[in-house]
Amino acid sequence: MLKPKRMSRVLFVGHKNVLEPTIDVLHDLHVVHIEEYTKEEYFSIGKPLAGVDQDSKRLLKLRSIANFLGIKKPYIKPTSAEKTSSELEERLEELESAVSEKLRKKSEIEAEIKETETNIHEIRTFSGIPVNFDLCSGYETLRVFAGTIKKGAEIEAGLSRITTDYQLYVGATGTVLLFVPAKDADLVAELLNGALFNEVKIPAMSGAPDELLSELGTRRETLSKDLESLSYEIDSVKALYEGFILASEELLSIETQKKEAPLFFATSEHVFAIDGWVPDDEFEKLKSRVGEATDNRVYVTRSGGETAGTDEGGKAEDANVPVEYDNPKVVKPMEAVMNLYARPKYYEIDPTTFVFIAFPLFYGMILGDIGYALILLAISLYGRSKLHGEGWNSLFTVLIYCNIATLFFGILYGEFLGFPLAGTHGHPGLIPGWHTIELIQGIGGETITYPVHRTHIVTTLLVLTLIVGVIHINIGLITGFQNVLKKHGMRAAILDKIAWMVLQLGVFLLLFGMMEVIPSMLPGAVVFALAVIMLIAGEGAVAVIELPSIMTNILSYSRLLAVGLSSIGIATAVNTMSGMAWSGGGIYIVLASIIFILGHALNTALSIIAPGLHALRLQYVEFFTKFYEGGGRIYDPFGYKRIYTEE
Amino acid sequence: MTIELAGASIEQIAASQAGLAAIGAGLAVGLAGIGSGIAEKDIGAAAVGAFTEKEELFGKGLIMTVIPETIVIFGFVIAIMLLM
Repeated sequence: MLKPKRMSRVLFVGHKNVLEPTIDVLHDLHVVHIEEYTKEEYFSIGKPLAGVDQDSKRLLKLRSIANFLGIKKPYIKPTSAEKTSSELEERLEELESAVSEKLRKKSEIEAEIKETETNIHEIRTFSGIPVNFDLCSGYETLRVFAGTIKKGAEIEAGLSRITTDYQLYVGATGTVLLFVPAKDADLVAELLNGALFNEVKIPAMSGAPDELLSELGTRRETLSKDLESLSYEIDSVKALYEGFILASEELLSIETQKKEAPLFFATSEHVFAIDGWVPDDEFEKLKSRVGEATDNRVYVTRSGGETAGTDEGGKAEDANVPVEYDNPKVVKPMEAVMNLYARPKYYEIDPTTFVFIAFPLFYGMILGDIGYALILLAISLYGRSKLHGEGWNSLFTVLIYCNIATLFFGILYGEFLGFPLAGTHGHPGLIPGWHTIELIQGIGGETITYPVHRTHIVTTLLVLTLIVGVIHINIGLITGFQNVLKKHGMRAAILDKIAWMVLQLGVFLLLFGMMEVIPSMLPGAVVFALAVIMLIAGEGAVAVIELPSIMTNILSYSRLLAVGLSSIGIATAVNTMSGMAWSGGGIYIVLASIIFILGHALNTALSIIAPGLHALRLQYVEFFTKFYEGGGRIYDPFGYKRIYTEE
Repeated sequence: MTIELAGASIEQIAASQAGLAAIGAGLAVGLAGIGSGIAEKDIGAAAVGAFTEKEELFGKGLIMTVIPETIVIFGFVIAIMLLM
């Protein structure tokens, strides 16, 4: 539980005749983490099995079709692998012919729409000019000017001074179309330049602009209707083939994965060798299954076993052993929280279980409100039933754990959406007749009560949170002691980890001395000095700079109180505002409800983020830095997790 | 000072002292919060940049980002000590 799964290094050697059944078994069992073979002198890298080209081509085709049809991966019922496999070729062809025609048509229509739009854009410049475009070119004695001129520019007067033989049209958009005799063209060009003439290309079409425009408009409409009906057809194809596409994609992925596997193996002319890692408890099963499938013609051996990568197995291998968590099912969802940081190394203690206890505990201590706990429990239970996939599942499960803790602390604190449930100091609580019971004397003249009113006993709670911090940090240091002991021996473990515990003791003795709980500060000073010497011996003079870190780490746990108080603050503010509106009566009651709902919705959202992040931070920064290295290699066994097909 | 003191009753002096302590507490939390914010903004920007490039860095980026949050916690502790 506190260690990653124990792994053995495993080696398979056999004749190439039995390579294929071996691969099949390894793939089905999905337990062997294969080490890639890098070419050395004698052995060479294996070649893929026959048929991989065809499968890859099919896979490519299938994926491009899936992409074209816009198939996203939904959660559907798996189909039989055998059935899919037998009809794969036929249906793939069927699908391809159905789709490729539509694909071609679609791109054709899209191109045409684009062209029509460009034309419309060009012609629109000339709208309002009643001249056929055919008549605008091909003259010997005439010159045609088409273009825009400065707004409000008057050219007719100038024109008539040059020649009387001209024809001028001005379009609806201000475009001019001017016909003049070719001999006057230079003078006219000069005149037009004065009016900031900007030439526009005359479209190479026949027909008058306005007629063409309406024609093209209708064309565009027909085309978009065609496209619409085509996408409707595509959707029907998609609905028909979706299951098949997903299933066969998976099937082909598996096939190519199997057939390409020899690329990781070492092979000679007749022999193959597969090198990898397997969890200890799977080894016997693996060995017998491989034997069954190949008539015992593959030699399976393991090195290391219990000792692989640990003390006796040689420490050099530590970094190479792939790491797989070994946690009970309840703790599993917490692995997501671990992965966010880093996977443990092989020799390290796997702290998932610590996080499983401390994370929800801290979250609950911070939030501690029955109302929010119930809302968030409902949300996470609903979310878990609706959203599938491993990530979502872990997220919601972690949230459920957190809010069970929140519910517990909510009952302890007697809070419901920021309202106190029990009356205190003359203020009535939400439940009439329930009064706070005074229990024992706290710190600084405060009285600890049930339910605990957090806002009334801040000092006591502050000290309590620091005690929680001391406990948590020292669990971390003890774990770190174990890790260092295993890796570097007793001396290093004491100087590295125990020294920090001694330092804490020194600080507390000094504090007690200052508060005159103990008569002298001398013992504190001595213990403190001892700790400093140990640290300097362990880490060198740099350790002096790190000395205050233990204090900041412990003080950091006061966020367990601080963040909770700010959450109460927001809730109380919302309640007060809506209460003020409520007492206005009439229409204000609606306003009060809106404030209440929106305010608590906001605070619920904050209640996931703030306590979540702070509880997480206490794990990552304050706790993990005491012992955790992380960065282990991820165990990624050869095989495939089937979703859409089943055997 | 004596003249001013004569004008104020003991209750008034006590009240203004409590008020000053409250202002001090507010300043402690507020200024420490600004400090945390300034420190976190740069780290946060860098962390977001890093983890868009490499998603595995999310956890480490988060840790780096929240380290200065301790500053505001110190402010909070001081505020409580002032109001005690």
